[in-house]
Amino acid sequence: MTNSASADQAEQVAGVEVGEARITIPGMSEEGENLATAHEETEHTHGGLGESTVKAKTGGSRADRTTSLNVADFAVPTGREEEWRFSPLKKLGRVLSDAATQTPVTLKVRNLADGVTRGELAKAQSPRGTVFSAADRAAVVGYSQTAQADYISVAADTELSEPVFLDITGEAAGHRANGHLVLEAGAHSKAVFVMEHRGSADANLNVEVIVRDGADVTVVSLQRWDDDAVHVGQQDAEVGRDAKYKHVSVTLGGEVVRMNSNVRYAAEGAEASMYGLYFADAGQHLEHRSFVDHNSPRNTSNVLYKGALQGQDARTVWVGDVLIRKAAEGTDSYEKNQNLILSDGARADSIPNLEIETGLIEGAGHASSTGRFDENHLFYLMARGIPEKEARQLVVRGFLNEIVQAIGVESIEETVQQDLENELKIAGF
Amino acid sequence: MTEQIQREKDQGVTSDILERNPELHGIGSYEYGWSDSDTAGANAKRGIDESVVEDISSKKSEPEWMLKLRKKGLKYFERKPMPMWGADLSGIHFDNIKYFVRSTEKQAKTWEDLPEDIRNTYERLGIPEAERERLVSGVAAQYESEVVYHQIREDLEEQGVIFMDTDTALKEHPEFFEEYFGSVIPVGDNKFAALNTSVWSGGSFVYVPKGVHVEIPLQAYFRINTENMGQFERTLIIADEDSYVHYIEGCTAPIYDSDSLHSAVVEIVVKKNARVRYTTIQNWSTNVYNLVTKRAVVDTGGTMEWIDGNIGSKVTMKYPAVYLTGEHAKGETLSVAFAGEGQHQDTGSKMVHMAPNTSSTIVSKSVARNGGRAAYRGLVQINAGAKNSANSVVCDALLVDTISRSDTYPYIDIREDDVTLGHEATVSKVSEDQLFYLMARGLAEDEAMAMIVRGFIEPIARELPMEYALELNRLIELQMEGSVG
Repeated sequence: MTNSASADQAEQVAGVEVGEARITIPGMSEEGENLATAHEETEHTHGGLGESTVKAKTGGSRADRTTSLNVADFAVPTGREEEWRFSPLKKLGRVLSDAATQTPVTLKVRNLADGVTRGELAKAQSPRGTVFSAADRAAVVGYSQTAQADYISVAADTELSEPVFLDITGEAAGHRANGHLVLEAGAHSKAVFVMEHRGSADANLNVEVIVRDGADVTVVSLQRWDDDAVHVGQQDAEVGRDAKYKHVSVTLGGEVVRMNSNVRYAAEGAEASMYGLYFADAGQHLEHRSFVDHNSPRNTSNVLYKGALQGQDARTVWVGDVLIRKAAEGTDSYEKNQNLILSDGARADSIPNLEIETGLIEGAGHASSTGRFDENHLFYLMARGIPEKEARQLVVRGFLNEIVQAIGVESIEETVQQDLENELKIAGF
Repeated sequence: MTEQIQREKDQGVTSDILERNPELHGIGSYEYGWSDSDTAGANAKRGIDESVVEDISSKKSEPEWMLKLRKKGLKYFERKPMPMWGADLSGIHFDNIKYFVRSTEKQAKTWEDLPEDIRNTYERLGIPEAERERLVSGVAAQYESEVVYHQIREDLEEQGVIFMDTDTALKEHPEFFEEYFGSVIPVGDNKFAALNTSVWSGGSFVYVPKGVHVEIPLQAYFRINTENMGQFERTLIIADEDSYVHYIEGCTAPIYDSDSLHSAVVEIVVKKNARVRYTTIQNWSTNVYNLVTKRAVVDTGGTMEWIDGNIGSKVTMKYPAVYLTGEHAKGETLSVAFAGEGQHQDTGSKMVHMAPNTSSTIVSKSVARNGGRAAYRGLVQINAGAKNSANSVVCDALLVDTISRSDTYPYIDIREDDVTLGHEATVSKVSEDQLFYLMARGLAEDEAMAMIVRGFIEPIARELPMEYALELNRLIELQMEGSVG
């Protein structure tokens, strides 16, 4: 009667092998797919009180995600959490501990024109922390370990003719560097900020962007780190009434980069666009997460991220969340991610999540595509007598250039073009 | 029905169309909500433990290995946590559910042999009529835990087609079960598949021999009668090389104050160059949790098509999957979901490309109204080596008011460079222009609305057999009743 065999024993049952031997789908075990094998970094196997297959693949509503400035609210991730399950936690462990800075990154600010001031902000000192609220463990420890934040503010009604350059340099590979940067653009001001990350560090750097009413702000974040850098960061913006905000993230360097770029709105009539460009080589993990929180009515957003991958274990992750809350009537929103895989052995994940709580919207859409080439473009060019190899080169460049052109700062566009040329040369394009 | 009109009046959403067309009153709400007398259900045991599992197994006089597998399923069920994503499942009380209800001692050979109550129920659902009119080539009717009636056309039987309830099939054709049962959806695949494995009962078994084309669909009909019922049918379909079959299932249940659980497992094996189409019109009453695992594995050149219509239930979480294991295999899912008041339809599809030159398509359409919530949740995975594979996902959602909600959670994982893949989604409200255009031509507002919605889901409706397309259209009309306010 009590013939209960433990579930852990994959027993052979008379006449039938109940277990893996009989499963008709390759790679599946008695407990469904073992998704953990996809992450060579997170070494938890499916044994024990494993989650169901589907759970590991999906997540809850973005509206329910905790945000806080209190470290105690975020446990050290295990890799099973929805927001961490794609990330190489072994390598990221160094920036997830609640640890002090060992060697800070240096910040050099160029082009401080009239009307632009540089200062520092202590933890509770406004406007620091008025827009930024950490959405994960990385962001919260970075915040709490930064006593004095750097603060650049542009006075109201000031229009800058030149970008403000912020050169951020990691001084010691493997050394923890925490930082927090507050960028504030006064009402009806116009400014472009270019943050350029170089060198190497275990960098945990947050950015807080305050776009006051009617302002027009572009923030470009260039990740041109050395090969051994680790960079986690959350870049939050709040966009005021009738204001414009453009965020461009370009990630080329670094061993592991994990960027969260978030936007929400202070009032109505604002326009936010977020662009991203990443190029992952062998062994690189480049992860970008964007979140547009349509928390108030009649704002627009447009998200476009493009990526290219080449080489063994080149890995990119893009997760784009758009949440249109109940109050956000009249919202118009679109997001798109496109990836180009240039060689074998690379892996691209793309998740455009869209949550909509009201029907009174202008429009909401998202799109994602991953592939080798746009065959139509290729055909078009070849039909005009351009040899295939050249045509491919043109198609790849055209694909990536859409984002490069969004930067809008000529000198930076040229630098990025050159970086991309170097990357493409490695891939044989 | 007057209650409904009164309720709508109270809510200020009375529609002109109802007032002007009294004949529509009869179809203004869930019309499958009656219940039959229920001695079997009333005496059934609630809750689950090993003795329940042993009891089910012994009532069915099963082979020993199946009992062992059931027990293993129970272990996994107990061990696995409830999913923390998707819909709210906190209303499921496993201790309150009746896991096995035998409604009649013997499977009937003719409808007349069935107990009167049950026969009347199926008459009202129109199942015997469909059989008489030869709209289907085989029928299986499951009532509570077991199939109470099944029939297949003789010519198909002569060609070697097997279509019977899973319990009987296990006795008569054990070789298929030893080879395939639990091989597509393993015992511990997820909490609800494990639960199904431990207490499964009923469902259909279909085997289509090599080269046989079953031109007219096979039909299964699932009915829950008793309150707090758990229905755990288990379906296994094997389409041998070069064969074709279309299987259709429909489901309804009475309306009760407390909830029932429907947790099916459907395994499909599509062999070389075979094609299986599986159509579901799910119209459970709004007190049924519908948590179903459906998966197909497709060999070289084969095609699997899921047509998944979700109209009823309180909560549905269902993501029909296709594993494309052979070259040139194809997978297709057409999914349509309606979420009305108090409903959460969390549906989608999963396509896994494991071989070169495989292709898949997912088209999902959802309509949320009256506070309902519709979500598309999907996964497309292209494994390394699945060269020249192509996938396209299109999901469209339509929101017709300000209190409903639409979510899209597509997941895309590509590990191969030589592929083309695209995902597109749009969410729109019914545009004023469209409404104005139709109303200017004399249509009442909710007629116009229903027409827009019909147009919206037309690409899916046209894939259904005629009578189902008509049924779907009619359901939309009902769903859209009073939606303008």
